[in-house]
Amino acid sequence: MSNAFKWIAIVAVAALALLPFVPGAVDAYYFSFLFFVFLYAIMAQSWNLVAGYGGQISLGSHAFFGLGAYTTAILWNGNYLWGSLYDAHPGIYYFDPVTMALGGAVAAFAAAIIGLPLLSKLRGDYFALGTLGFGEIVKVLFVNGGDFTGSAFGIVAPAGMFDTLRPHYWVALGLMVATALAIGVLMRSRYGLALIAVRDDEMAASANGIDVLKVKVAAFAGSAFIAGVAGSLYTFYIFHVGPDSVFDLDWMLLPLMMTVVGGTGTLLGPILGALVMYAVFDLARIVVPDYHPVISGLTIILAMLFLPKGLMRSFAGRVMVA
Amino acid sequence: MFNLPPPDILLQLSLNGALGGAMYGVAAVGLSLIFGTMRLIFLAQGAMIILAAYFVRALFYGLGIDPFLSLLIVVPVGLGVGWLMYQGLFRKAAAEEDRNVSLLIAVGLMFLVQNLMTVVWGGNTAGVVTSYTATGIELLGVRTSFTRSMGFLIALAGTGLVMLFLRKTIVGKAVRAASEDMDAATLMGISPHRVNAIAFAIGIALAGAAGVAVATTFPFNPFAGFIFSLKALVALALGGIGNVTGALAGGILLGLIEAYVQFFISGGWTNAIAYGVFLAVLMFKPEGLFSRPYKKA
Repeated sequence: MSNAFKWIAIVAVAALALLPFVPGAVDAYYFSFLFFVFLYAIMAQSWNLVAGYGGQISLGSHAFFGLGAYTTAILWNGNYLWGSLYDAHPGIYYFDPVTMALGGAVAAFAAAIIGLPLLSKLRGDYFALGTLGFGEIVKVLFVNGGDFTGSAFGIVAPAGMFDTLRPHYWVALGLMVATALAIGVLMRSRYGLALIAVRDDEMAASANGIDVLKVKVAAFAGSAFIAGVAGSLYTFYIFHVGPDSVFDLDWMLLPLMMTVVGGTGTLLGPILGALVMYAVFDLARIVVPDYHPVISGLTIILAMLFLPKGLMRSFAGRVMVA
Repeated sequence: MFNLPPPDILLQLSLNGALGGAMYGVAAVGLSLIFGTMRLIFLAQGAMIILAAYFVRALFYGLGIDPFLSLLIVVPVGLGVGWLMYQGLFRKAAAEEDRNVSLLIAVGLMFLVQNLMTVVWGGNTAGVVTSYTATGIELLGVRTSFTRSMGFLIALAGTGLVMLFLRKTIVGKAVRAASEDMDAATLMGISPHRVNAIAFAIGIALAGAAGVAVATTFPFNPFAGFIFSLKALVALALGGIGNVTGALAGGILLGLIEAYVQFFISGGWTNAIAYGVFLAVLMFKPEGLFSRPYKKA
């Protein structure tokens, strides 16, 4: 990444961070639009880590997103687990970092549990199918979870309405930047190089002393952690966590789509893809409300026909492709 | 331990499960062909089945054509649509190293088809009610619905025809060769685009046949297709990816599992257990339950 580009990125992030201070910005439509772009960009980075850099196509992101969301809602309600722990402070506050990290940790733990057998046995398409099946199983488990998960209705978080979206915006922006930075640093480290080596040639990587299974499972769990944190963030926004909303396949399909449109295996591709695709979807939703999913479907097909390598690789020079 | 129900109930369960499962099977045969040559998980298969079901419904209510007779229209149309779909949408992506591209085109197609159906026919549940919809027939001493049995026959006939095509014709042989090793097949002078297009055409034609079975048996809505795609994938994995008869058998097995789980445990757990079996098979017998090593299709 060139030096000039670094500065552009810093200025852009600073401008976005200061945006809520612009009078009227918070109430403007684009404010919540940006919040969702950040949320999807985090999910896209999560998918990019395991699939773009790791080469393991996972179709289970929605399961990890949902696990993070449910973990947060259950903790927030506080009356099922560790009721006494939260008695001192009734309910947890918004964006409690411990809760968000736990949301990620539960997802990462589930990914490690399911990833170990899946990744040691399955390759390529079989892994993709396995994660898809896993997602469906998790959803059914939550539907049948009784009082603990609120069954088919889900859980309503105890908080009252928030009167400003500012904190959500900042947290989402911060998480998006942190995720990108963390993955950027990671990919320059020994571990990142090992991950790319495994993607490019598993046999050669293994011959060079890389523990292939360990690297793959770690990438899968790391990706799940990011998705879990995103799910946690969404709970703080939506309050009502239900199996049909947070385990919706869109939480897997849209980030996947955004990453591929932006550029798989690039650091900024997921962010760019999230911005462009969400803008297209949202614009269609506003301009042609009755047909917007038709437009979305059409956009994906056209993007894949004419930009199969993604925006980053098609337009931006190799310099920007980290 | 639960008490075993009387044998006639078991027989009834097995029959219903098998008949219903055959529909997953015929969808899985289509997926299997497409996956075989293109290594593409064609997620839009279910949406195509529902599209065919709506088409059958329109033919029935619009032109008064009997749903089962409309097979003669739906299957050729499916062949044509599949061929065109490959040439228009997947031809370029098939040459791409990154197979996410074709997967995403399939996803985009699924969105597009689902929502076009909603725009054209509305999002409500639709069905086809004929004079024989509620008719039952006696089979092996248990009663079953006529339309389900016809669906089963369609599935058997469809799979049988595909088998004959793959085994007895030279083009079918080319498709099988391409499924086993595309590079080697290309070196032998087989055009990858032609076999891919053929696989697609047959896959969509089978979706058409499945659409007839769905339209006559179940109420359906534009979004019912995705679950069909998932079930077909499970059937595919149970039977062994790339194994055509295995895919049908996998579908029937899945139907049986669903019927038994619904009866003995609860309807709410059907999907979890079906996918659990799916994961277990992927993990412990990834070549499928019905395949013998080194013999395909």
